[in-house]
Amino acid sequence: MRLSFGRLLKIFWHSLFIQTSWSFPSMQSMGFLSDLVAGVGEDKKSEILKTQRGLFNTHPYMVSYIVGATVRAYDEGRASAEEIGKFLAVAQTSFASAGDLLFWRTLRPALLLLAVILGIHFGIVGPITFLVIYNIFHLFHRIKGINDGYNLGWDVIYLLKDRRFKMVREIFEAAGAVLSGLLFSLAAFGVSYLLVIPLTALFMIMLVRRYSAVLIIISVLLLVLIIGMV
Amino acid sequence: MNAIILSLLGAAIILDKYALGEFGISQPIITGTIIGAIFGDVWFGIFLGAMVQLVFLGGLPIGRDIPPDGQSAGIITVGSYFLLRNFNSFGHSLFLAVVLGLVGSIIGGILEIYVRKFNEKLYHRFVHHEECLYICHTMGLLTAFIRGLCLFLPLFVFSQLIGVPDVFPQITKETLMIIGISIGLANSFYLFVKIKTVVYLLIGGICGLALVVF
Repeated sequence: MRLSFGRLLKIFWHSLFIQTSWSFPSMQSMGFLSDLVAGVGEDKKSEILKTQRGLFNTHPYMVSYIVGATVRAYDEGRASAEEIGKFLAVAQTSFASAGDLLFWRTLRPALLLLAVILGIHFGIVGPITFLVIYNIFHLFHRIKGINDGYNLGWDVIYLLKDRRFKMVREIFEAAGAVLSGLLFSLAAFGVSYLLVIPLTALFMIMLVRRYSAVLIIISVLLLVLIIGMV
Repeated sequence: MNAIILSLLGAAIILDKYALGEFGISQPIITGTIIGAIFGDVWFGIFLGAMVQLVFLGGLPIGRDIPPDGQSAGIITVGSYFLLRNFNSFGHSLFLAVVLGLVGSIIGGILEIYVRKFNEKLYHRFVHHEECLYICHTMGLLTAFIRGLCLFLPLFVFSQLIGVPDVFPQITKETLMIIGISIGLANSFYLFVKIKTVVYLLIGGICGLALVVF
């Protein structure tokens, strides 16, 4: 079975809106249902809305894998709603944790660091580099995810064991570490920049001790206020 | 460019945060570039965006956690700076823009919680009227846009109208850079430095030193 280009486009387009109506009790439920209905077709809409409208939450870029596999299940018509529900429960958490690790914790901060360093030295090259590289990975997963999901069906979960996920993460972790070292080069301009060392240590302690993000921002704010007044 | 147009632009860009696409356009370094280009000073827009980006590098939207809104902070800091610059000195404008940006990030996070609570009503409406799926879902775009507008408009109008007295605190570009790099380093160490990546950190550090020396 193959997914037609038209359906692939429809699923891709709706996947861009997966988090539009994010709410606490249902999370991405409405976004997921819209995407699924777009892929499966209006004739099965009422069946899908009746049986699959529970809580849904996964990584927004990785949802394509899940939608692709679910569309396949509906196309084949062999799985019951309960079985599809069980697949969704397992798949959403697996892809959420893989996506969070890959994109939020590694790829995006590493590329943003690169953009900052390039941006300060070479201007607009930095932001453009970020947008191009980041969106190559982002759109690759969005588009290929639909096809992989559809072709592999429920076995799509095993893709997470694939070496490519781990390899990309390791490469960007290493790149992030190199860029962290390079970030020092922005600071090494004068004696006043020696202040960077105690301030970095202070913020490190706050991060390691898992102080809330709001508290860290408030401490930055206080630092700006104190320096401004002095 | 006046405060109203800038607020509309900011509210449109902030949709990228989660409501539409998530292409990374709303990241502070990108919004800094866009707003800087609009005001005719791309370099300073990129610099300000980069500093805000370093502060919010570690804010990870994982699961139900809603960290302070770094994307809004970028738009507010850069937009406010250029609006404040019309009537105020460089140091005063920079100081007030950074303060507004940081405060805006916290308010932005709180507003996001309210928007998501409002979206809950849309979900309940959908549960009772299944035929309304697309309408209820698409309404999320409007609530996200309104959140941006409610956040940006008062701060930008304030920035456009206020004349800061000379006794008001001010900061220099270097000071902002020290703060930005400090928290940026802390964030990046926290995210990337592990036993197996220490060697890469050293390579980066040596390359950085070489860049400075030569």
